[in-house]
This record gives sequence, C-alpha cells and structure tokens, in this order.
Amino acid sequence: MLKITGLESGYELLQVLWGVDLHVDEGEFVALLGPNGAGKTTTLRAIAGYVPALHGSVTFRGQQISGMSPNKVSAAGIGYVSEALNLFPSMSIYENLLVGAYTVKDKAKIKANIDLVYELFPRLHERSGQLAGTLSGGERKMLAIGRGLMPSPSLLLVDEPSLGLAPIPTLAAFDALKQLSKRGVTILLVEQNVNTTLRIVDRAYVLEQGRIVLEGTGEQLLGDTHVQEAYLGI
Amino acid sequence: MATVTAMPARSRKQVVGRSRRTLAAAVALILFAIVLPFIPPFTGQDYQRYLVGAAYTAALAVAFDFTAGYIDIVNFGFAAFVGIGAYTSALLAVDLGLPPGLGLIAGAGAAGLVGLATGMLTLRLRGIYAAVMAWFVGLALMGLVRNLTDITRGSMGLNVPRLLGTDDNLPYYYVMLALLLVTIAVLTYVIRSNVGLAFRAIGQNLQAARASGINPTRFLVLNFTLSCAFAGLMGGFYAHYYTILTPDLMSTTRTIEVLAVAYIGGRGSLWGPAIIAFPLYIGTELLRTQLASLPGLHLVLYGLLLIVVMVYWPGGVAGVVRKTALWWERRSEKAADATTSSAS
Amino acid sequence: MTTATNLRTVPLARRFLTFTWGVVALVVLVLAIALIFQPSIFVDTLVTGGMWALMAGGLALVFGVMNIPNFAHGEMFMIGGLVSWVIYQPIRDAFLNDPKNMFLQVVGPIPGILVAAVVGFLVGVLLETVLFRALRKRSRDQWVMNTFLLTAGVSVMLVNGDRMVFGNDYRGVPRYWDVHSLQILGVPVAVDRIAVFVIAMISIGVFSYFLQRTRTGRAMRAVSQDETGAQMAGISLNRIFMLTMGLSCGLAALAGAALLSIFPNSPDVGVQPLYLAWYVVILAGLGNVQGAIAGAFIVSLLQTLAVTYLGLGWVDVAPTAVIILILLFKPSGLFGSEVKGVWEQ
Repeated sequence: MLKITGLESGYELLQVLWGVDLHVDEGEFVALLGPNGAGKTTTLRAIAGYVPALHGSVTFRGQQISGMSPNKVSAAGIGYVSEALNLFPSMSIYENLLVGAYTVKDKAKIKANIDLVYELFPRLHERSGQLAGTLSGGERKMLAIGRGLMPSPSLLLVDEPSLGLAPIPTLAAFDALKQLSKRGVTILLVEQNVNTTLRIVDRAYVLEQGRIVLEGTGEQLLGDTHVQEAYLGI
Repeated sequence: MATVTAMPARSRKQVVGRSRRTLAAAVALILFAIVLPFIPPFTGQDYQRYLVGAAYTAALAVAFDFTAGYIDIVNFGFAAFVGIGAYTSALLAVDLGLPPGLGLIAGAGAAGLVGLATGMLTLRLRGIYAAVMAWFVGLALMGLVRNLTDITRGSMGLNVPRLLGTDDNLPYYYVMLALLLVTIAVLTYVIRSNVGLAFRAIGQNLQAARASGINPTRFLVLNFTLSCAFAGLMGGFYAHYYTILTPDLMSTTRTIEVLAVAYIGGRGSLWGPAIIAFPLYIGTELLRTQLASLPGLHLVLYGLLLIVVMVYWPGGVAGVVRKTALWWERRSEKAADATTSSAS
Repeated sequence: MTTATNLRTVPLARRFLTFTWGVVALVVLVLAIALIFQPSIFVDTLVTGGMWALMAGGLALVFGVMNIPNFAHGEMFMIGGLVSWVIYQPIRDAFLNDPKNMFLQVVGPIPGILVAAVVGFLVGVLLETVLFRALRKRSRDQWVMNTFLLTAGVSVMLVNGDRMVFGNDYRGVPRYWDVHSLQILGVPVAVDRIAVFVIAMISIGVFSYFLQRTRTGRAMRAVSQDETGAQMAGISLNRIFMLTMGLSCGLAALAGAALLSIFPNSPDVGVQPLYLAWYVVILAGLGNVQGAIAGAFIVSLLQTLAVTYLGLGWVDVAPTAVIILILLFKPSGLFGSEVKGVWEQ
C-alpha cells in the first residue's frame, strides 16, 4: 500500500534521511522505532508532505505522492497525527472533528465517523462541547487521533502517541491504536517506547542515523540482540 | 562581532583594506555632493530646490533607518515627530522672535522629548504592536496640531520666517547637506560604538540580548529618542525653508514616503537610504513636474518600488551593493589564492 | 489543564470584575444613560458602529487567518465607494428623468453596492495571489512587519492611482434614498443611515454564520488556530488565504459603497475608516473577529461622544487617546488576541 524507496530528506542545512526503504501493506500495523534524532519524525513528515523529498520515491497505492502538498496527501487518504497534535485550541471537540472531516462531502458519513470516534473514545463524547485548548494531555491525544480518523484514511501515520503521557493514558492510547488496527485501519506508528510497541504491532523497522538497520515482526525484533542491547536494556 | 571572530586570521588585512576603501568612497561621495550644484543641469534654481528636498528626504530616511534597521521598530508616527520639530521651531520664531538657528535646536529637543515619552509608553511592546502604537501616537499628535488652531492655525497654515536672509536655494542646499552629514556622522558613530552593538543584538534577538545582560528598554528608548530628535531637527529646517506649515506634514503618508526611501535604500545601512534618496527624490520630482496631468504618479511609483522591495528585494540597494562587494572580494580572494598556490 | 480548572473554579462574580468586563459594563452604562437623556448618541453609535464592525471584522479576519496587518484596508473602502458611484450614476440619471419610478427609487442603489462588494472580493483575491503568495514563497521571516509595509506600499499605490485616473474631486451622491427622515426615539434619522445599519446587520449576521457554521468558515478558523493542523485535515492553505483576503476586502468595499452618501468618494476617503478599523482591532485584540465586532461599537460610542461634546475636529483624537490609555493596562487588547505568535514578532 505504502512503498518508500531510497528516500533522502531533511531541512535546509541538515539532511536527516539517507536512503530509507520501507513498505506497509494493506491492514498492517507497522512501527518505526529508533533513537532520538534518527529521523523517525522526518520520515512521517516527508510522507505527509511537510518536508520535501530530495531523492527517492514515496508511492501510495501505486500513486507517486512525494512532492505533493500536505493537503493533497491528506486527500489521497493518508491521515497524519503529529507529535505536536496541532489541534484547534479555540474550537470544541466536536468542531475539531468536523474540521477533520473537511474533505468528506457526505453528511451521513461524517456522522458515522463521529460516532465511531466517540465509540472508540467515550471520553470525547462526554466532553464534546469542551474547547480543545482546555483538555488534558491524554484527551488531546485521543482527539488528535480521532480527528485523524475523520476522513476515514486508508493509512494512518501516528507520531509518538506516548510522548508526555503518564503510563496509564499511554496504555490507553496504544489500546486504541490496537483496536483501530483490528477494525482494518492500516497504521504506521513512530515510537520510542520500544518494549510496548513491539508487543502490539505486526511488524517493525528500526531506523538509525537516517537509515533502516533492522526489519522484522514484533517477536523477531524482541528477540534480536541489537534491539535488546540498544533499546530494551537487557 | 560574530562575523569578525569567524573570519580567518589572514583577512584582518582585508578588513583594514575594506574600511579604507569605504572611507575613500564616502569622501568621494561627499565631494560629489558638494560640487553637484555646479554641474548642469543642477545649476538652475529648480534643480537646486530638488537637491535641497533630496538632502532633506535623505536625512529623514537615515534617521528613520536608525530605528527600523537597527532595533527593528518601525516608527509609523515618524512624520509626527518631524512636525513637532517644525512647529516648535516655527512657533518660537513667530511668537517669540527666536532666531531660526536656535529654533532648529529647540525643535530637535522638543521632538526628542516627545519621542522619549512615546518610547517609554510604547516600547514595552514589540513588532506590529509597537509600530501601531507609534502610529496612533502620531495620529493623536497630528490631531492636536490640527485642532489647536489658536496656536498653530491648523489647516489654514502657519507662515514661518526663512532660515537665511535669501531666497537663493544654493545656501539652503549646503545647510541641509551639512545637517545630513551631521546626522549620518552622529548616527554612524553611535552604531559603531558599544551602544550600537546592543542595538543590533536587541534588533536581532530580544530574548538573547536580555539574557546577555542588556536592558533592552533603555536602549530601545535611547534609540527612539535620538531618531525622533533628528526628525525634529529636519522638521525645523523644513519649516524655515518652505516657510509654510500645515498639519499635513505630520500625516501617515509622509511617514510612508520616508519609509519607502529607507527600505528601497536598504534597511540597516544608513548610507543606503541617504544615497538612494537623491536619484529617487529628484526623479520623482521631475516626473511630477513633467507629467502634471497625472497627479500622484510619483507616489504610485514610490508604492510600487516599496512593494517590489518588500517582495523580491529585501535588502534594497544597500543589499545589492553588499552582495556585489562580497562577490568581488571572493573573486579577488580566489585569484590571490590561485597566485599563491602557483608560486609555492 | 491549569487554565481549564481555573476557569471552572473561579467564582462567577470575580470573573466579571476584570478590566475587560469593567470597560464593557461602562460602555453599556453610558449607552443606557444616552438612551434616556440623549437618544441621538445612542442612535449614532449603533448606525456608525455597524459599518465599523464590517471594516474591523474583515481586518481582524485577515490578521487572524493570514497574520497580515492590512494597511491597505481603507483603500478597499475607497474602491467600494468608487465602484458604487460609477454604477449608480446612470441609474440615478434615469431616476431623475423619471422621478415617479418607485422601482428605480427603491432598488436603484442596490446593484452598485452589490457589485462593489464583488469587486472588493476580486481585488482581495488578486492581492493574495500576486503579492502575498509571492512573498510567502520567498520568505516568511518577519512576516507580520513585512506584510504591513507591503500593504503600506499597496495603499500608497491605490490612493495615488485613483488620484491619477479620477482626479482629486469628491464623487458622491447626496442620498441613495431621497425620502423623508424617519423618527426613531424622537431622533430624525435619514433613511440612508437606516439602510446602512440594516446592510451592516445583515452582513454581520451572514458573516458570523459563515464563520461559525459553514465548512469553509470553519476551515478559516482552523487555519487561524493551527495552520499545520488545518493542512492535516486536507485544507488547502492557498485556497483559504485567497477566500479570506477576498472576503475581508469585499466587506470593506461593501462598507465603502453603503456609506457613499456619508463618505463621498475621493482618493483618500479610506484614511479615516482605516484608522477606525485599526483602533477597533487593536482595542479588541489583534485577530479576534468577534471582539472586533463588539469593539466597533465601543469606538463608535467614543467617536459619537467626542463629536457631541468636544466638536467635530476631535473625532479621531479622543478615541486614540482613550485607546492608548486602555492599552497601557491591557496590551493584548480588551478581548485578548487569538493569534499565534504575535508576541514573538
């Protein structure tokens, strides 16, 4: 479904990615792991169209998407939940979700998706009129994921849902992603929380210094010596 | 500072060479400005009047650039301070019979004082807020001058005695040129001093400047006051040269004219605005007189140039000159490298 | 989190004893007194306030969504008046030749006003696509200040371009609807001014509905609150910027056209509306559209009081002085700024 080959990317004076190859198949739950500064976030930003690709290609369902503007990528069916969340603080939860469904024309479908998000995160339902700027950290993550789901993306990119969260909300966030995956949403997840992540995903990549160094199923990687030494502290 | 330390050791000689070249260029330009009225067509009274106006505009643009280019505060009420100086000097001469020469100084002092008060009031704000507050203060000042008709005669206009006992434009040109050179000299001296270093630090990054122990407000107010004082000085000259004053002198349009010259010349250089003011002012005046059937054409050009500079040409003329100089230096450096390497 | 709990726990009385609410309460009080003792102040405040709300609402919108402090906003007012004047002239002549034609009398001014709004919209779209997009592409450093100066250039160009083509004359109409004044609260009010008020109220209503309830309006607010978030939702920034600038300029042109009989068109007719819109926007807090609509009536009240008790010359000076004073206490404006990164600029 998503196929990245030889992707090089970065910022004005700093190249971050030096040839990333990865692919995500329909229905898969894939994680992209690695240390700080390895380029995980940049990879997601490059897919979503916020950073230009210098070399290599990103294709989505056979369509070339590198070089597209972010809103085009979004319209092509890729949802993106950024690290910073980028919610609309002076809008209510409900309005945030409505804006999330900007590209959807069908009113019934919007309603169905809102119901789906409320079902997934009942807390958002309880507080649907509250302004996003006044939510707690965990609620904000839920809302960001919920907003990302509104256009029913075929692929959801999620950047570090555990960032800044206490252990219990973190588990809740992972749980929600797992549930989504079960419902058939394809997910590419970036995480630093290696242990938990490897237990819930189908497959994972390890990114170090802008290159993919390892690839395998969750179990394979949990058993890998490099992963154990570098990320699990065993 | 940072650029100096980052430079390779051997380029010290080049820095000295560069400042010597700059000095030579400055002396040449000043000499040129002095002999200009003797070169046709500038020998005629009309052209000499343009020269006075150009030097006046240049001085205003320099004083404006002193705040806009260095502490990054755009004084949208600038023309109002020119007006304060003009009206102070004019009223002292009209009502008290003070000689215009002293009036100019008094005008500068008054504009500086009002500038000080405005600065203390508005410079706690930054960016657009500071610009807009200065604008509002300027509008309020203009409103006062317009409404206090008992003192200023408001829109009916105030007749002012001439600065010199002659109608010949040439002496006025030299007085104005001297004022321009004094302005540039004083402001350049300040910029080159430690105070100027603080200005630039504040202009580029207020937080960092504060963190390194600079009290920004004091420097901001100092800069603003100085700029306003020079504006007032020029205002005094304006009053005693054109001999009629209306509150229109203080309008925002006048500020934008000065602002356009400063930005087209290149902000943060002082000399850029001073030099570009001459061709710009004289050119637009010629346009205005030649094409009197199209009123406003010269201002359309000002606006257009300002737009082009803002969108495509952010450094203005000074920026282009700097880039060319840098390119030239690099080229000659490369040539020098080539000769040394072939010699060894 | 902390702000959320604070909002919930602070007693209602304390929340309303703030500076902002003090000012608002004062305004309401003055209006109430005026209603009883000097109804003309009340009526004047409402009539002019409605139009300043259109001007200021558009100005605030453009700042909120695009971070552009538009100095050329007054020139949109000027363009509106000009367009309406050009279109209304032949209609007026036809009416003068046929004074019994009630249809021309009633409907005559409307095409000019509507076309003016449309032309304003198009000018806004043009400004965005030709100038701001180019600048955005080059650099977004110091965006707020650079666009302010850029629009200052646009303003000078439009004012003098108008002067060049149409000259310095005043181009006005004595009245759009030349009928007897109506008595409201014992004050005679020209039908034109009532029409102006009605146009303002309808436009503000439509404008608010658009921003609050429609998909595109919501997208505009989304862009103003978080550009990246808006892009994630598939919103095209360029499209929203274009619409925002168009809408804002269209509203200003509409105001200029509707007020043609009160502000006869001339090259610098936009200067005073520009000042007023800016007073309002700074007073309300940059980028706060609803605040601007409320603030318009506050500034309008200040103006009316100044004219009534100090004289016509003080119409700008008094409000300016009051606004400078208020900002000394509340630099972010009465209703707070909703804009990202204004303070870092």
